[in-house]
Amino acid sequence: MNTGRSTGIADVALRINGVAFRGAVDGGITLLDLLRDHLELVGTKKGCDQGACGTCTVLLDGRRVVSCLVLAAQCDGREVTTIEGLAPEGGLHPLQEAFIRHDAFQCGFCTSGQLMSAAALIEEGRAGSDAEIREYMSGNLCRCGAYPNIVAAIRDTARQVV
Amino acid sequence: MTTVTANKIIGEPVDRIDGTLKVTGAATYPSDVTYPGMAYAVLVGSTIAVGRIRAIDTVDALAAPGVLTVLTHENIPSLPDAPASPFGPPPRFPLRDDRVLHQGQHVAVVVAESPEQARNAARFVRVDYEETVPVLAIDDPAAPIRSNPFGTDAEHGDVIAALASAEVGYEETFRTAPVTNNPLGLFATVACWDDERLVVHESTQWPMQARRTLAGVFSLAETAVRVLVPHLGGAFGAGLRTWPHTILTALAARLLDRPVKLVLTRPQMFTAVGHRPESVQRVRLGATREGRLVAIDHEGTAPVAAEEFTFDRMTTGTPDAYDCPNVAVRDRLVALNIPNPGFMRAPGHAEGSFALESAMDELAFRLGIDPVELRLRNFAGTHPRTGLPWSSNALRECYRLGAERFGWYVRDPVPRSMRDGEWLVGCGMAGVTYQWYVTPCQVRISIGRDGTARVACAGTDIGTGTYTITAQLAAEMLGLDVEQVHVELGDSDLPPAPQSGGSGLATSLAGAVEDGTRRLLDAFLDLVGTDDRSPLRGRTRREVTANAGRLHLVSDPDAGEPYAHMLARHDLDELTVIGEKIPDPQAPGLDMAPSGASAAQFVEVRVHEELGMLRVSRLLSVMDAGTVLNEKTARSQVSGALVMGIGMAMLEETVFDPATGRITNGTFADYLIPTHADIPDVDVVFVGEPDRVNPLGAKGLGEVGLVGLPAAVANAVHHATGKRIRSLPITIEKLF
Repeated sequence: MNTGRSTGIADVALRINGVAFRGAVDGGITLLDLLRDHLELVGTKKGCDQGACGTCTVLLDGRRVVSCLVLAAQCDGREVTTIEGLAPEGGLHPLQEAFIRHDAFQCGFCTSGQLMSAAALIEEGRAGSDAEIREYMSGNLCRCGAYPNIVAAIRDTARQVV
Repeated sequence: MTTVTANKIIGEPVDRIDGTLKVTGAATYPSDVTYPGMAYAVLVGSTIAVGRIRAIDTVDALAAPGVLTVLTHENIPSLPDAPASPFGPPPRFPLRDDRVLHQGQHVAVVVAESPEQARNAARFVRVDYEETVPVLAIDDPAAPIRSNPFGTDAEHGDVIAALASAEVGYEETFRTAPVTNNPLGLFATVACWDDERLVVHESTQWPMQARRTLAGVFSLAETAVRVLVPHLGGAFGAGLRTWPHTILTALAARLLDRPVKLVLTRPQMFTAVGHRPESVQRVRLGATREGRLVAIDHEGTAPVAAEEFTFDRMTTGTPDAYDCPNVAVRDRLVALNIPNPGFMRAPGHAEGSFALESAMDELAFRLGIDPVELRLRNFAGTHPRTGLPWSSNALRECYRLGAERFGWYVRDPVPRSMRDGEWLVGCGMAGVTYQWYVTPCQVRISIGRDGTARVACAGTDIGTGTYTITAQLAAEMLGLDVEQVHVELGDSDLPPAPQSGGSGLATSLAGAVEDGTRRLLDAFLDLVGTDDRSPLRGRTRREVTANAGRLHLVSDPDAGEPYAHMLARHDLDELTVIGEKIPDPQAPGLDMAPSGASAAQFVEVRVHEELGMLRVSRLLSVMDAGTVLNEKTARSQVSGALVMGIGMAMLEETVFDPATGRITNGTFADYLIPTHADIPDVDVVFVGEPDRVNPLGAKGLGEVGLVGLPAAVANAVHHATGKRIRSLPITIEKLF
């Protein structure tokens, strides 16, 4: 009887928020599921599991990726930053402070992804204007419709950084 | 004597008190919960729209790695029906028998040690169907029709006669597409049985109703069920019912005697938790040449799933919308083989308003009267049916201020007269009235030895800011700082609260907090009533005020003492009371009509002349929501509703395949919701006075921002292009 393709087991060693993780992972498991189901890093959320909403955005070697479309096995030797690692322990990143100040979220479910995406966006130098922010944040959906406040929070933070 | 300035906290744009939790990823949503030994469930959905299951083969699935059980209609125990909710009978339980009534109907539940194993095994459940022909179209003659399904059809005056004799007549039919709530948070249930107690972490807007449902189905006392949802990843109405997947998860946990987690997939969010139904609406208007309405006739038709019930009434807002002597409304439900619709933000209002406010715009155009002026001429200064004065109503101010702020009168009103390069520019507006809705609510409030307060209530914060406004209310009334108030929500073990829905929770909760804080102040004054050491001995609440963590005499701020001192001297850890609000709109002597929020929506659009692309370039909502409890979160709610309105107006349509009933765009790649790039800056302005009936003068504003927006967009499109689009969404092929 066929009970499904074997995806095998992969040995991986990666750093997540500066902490080394080494282990054997199911070859088919996504980075998102590794974080949420196995490492108790549930700050990264699953909104579609199809790479279409941006909710699960994390940084992989500093670049933003949707972690539902990255296999954990692909992350060997790489550095992952999640919402839990955005700010130093106990503190807030300027973007996090700006999100609170501008009320850039309502239910909060997409917020981790918005923040990780925004952090990368500023690094990419794509926060030069509201239009640019809107364009390059459009992979991160927010059903509560906090978009104007998210843009304001990013604009504010980008100005401080520059 | 020291001058005392009472803390002004209510209404202030206080940052969300749960903000840090949400920006650090530390807020716990139902799908984040894990238990030791937890198993994972996956649903298998029907691939036909209607028929019977001839056979269901689970042998291979059961043999797949890690599989613990596969539940089907053949092997689950018989369960009692779930109780009805105030909105009608419960959803049909899909594993009751071998019948299938819609695509995606749950036909099996696979439970395994890991989510990967459950997903893998679900592919091996083989279902042999006996398929029959589905009824899928709202205008299919084979579809059973229920007239007046809500018992709300009504006529005031004589509409037929008024239409026949009106100087100007109008009749058009409008369509709105089915759209899907699609909160970003996938609905999740984590069920854990502890002896005979059931604990469920649940994506719900209504913990008390979820508790009632589960207690009924599993024959438990309600207190033997605990429903927890401290944070919810959106819902927009989808969480107002307790759906069959919740019951199935709790059942799996019971049968396996292990905690079980189920997280719906995005495609299942289209089929398992309701949606805004499509609608077909006929609007007939009669008016004088001066633009006074003499008749409104509004008929709404919407689908319901076969053997189900839904409460989405297209004509719901029409009777109170305008001052018109002859008004008739009728609703019909058409039973189809589709997943049952449910509630979605401003149910009925959003759809009905598209028809009525588009019709008003057309009437204005035909009469040569400005659309704002037409609405002002028909403003209902008193409640249209009873003639009672409104408890508050600043709709005229919404129109006037909105028109001024938007630059309404600066535009050239002639269609197709404004352009910016290749883009045709148009302005549109709509008027909005909303129903009044306040329901009973309780809170528990205490002040402890450390001088801080705790407020607890079963209601949820679905992102609306409930935590924050609750803290603000209690802080101001108890004379504390917001930081000194700890708020607990989303737990059915706490005092009962209504649903976070119908724009009703904030006002209900405000009433309960107001009552509770009064009782708590009384309790402190009772405590020191005969206490010689207290400067407040023998005083009543009218004589004291609360400020800076203490109670003191109004007449002498130095004569008072902190809560903490009173508790310490009487050797108490805390004082606790229950506050309660039981609204009664029919209260004797209430010589006014309770009013909901009202608003004027203004929109500027750009339509590309060659390509038909539609963009919204400016948005303004001027709203009378009475007392605004937190200007920051209130503005966000209205702004977010406007964004959802843009989705409904120009992007969103759940597409059912006309032959198979399968949803062809049930993913975020295919179903378009507004993105950052679709949304311009949004201007939200609050006007009006405190409402005279509602607690603290507040009127619910969670939904009203969406209402009227689609009509305002359609009206702006007409102004830009000269094309009148009477069906939503307004997509490129309709404009090209």
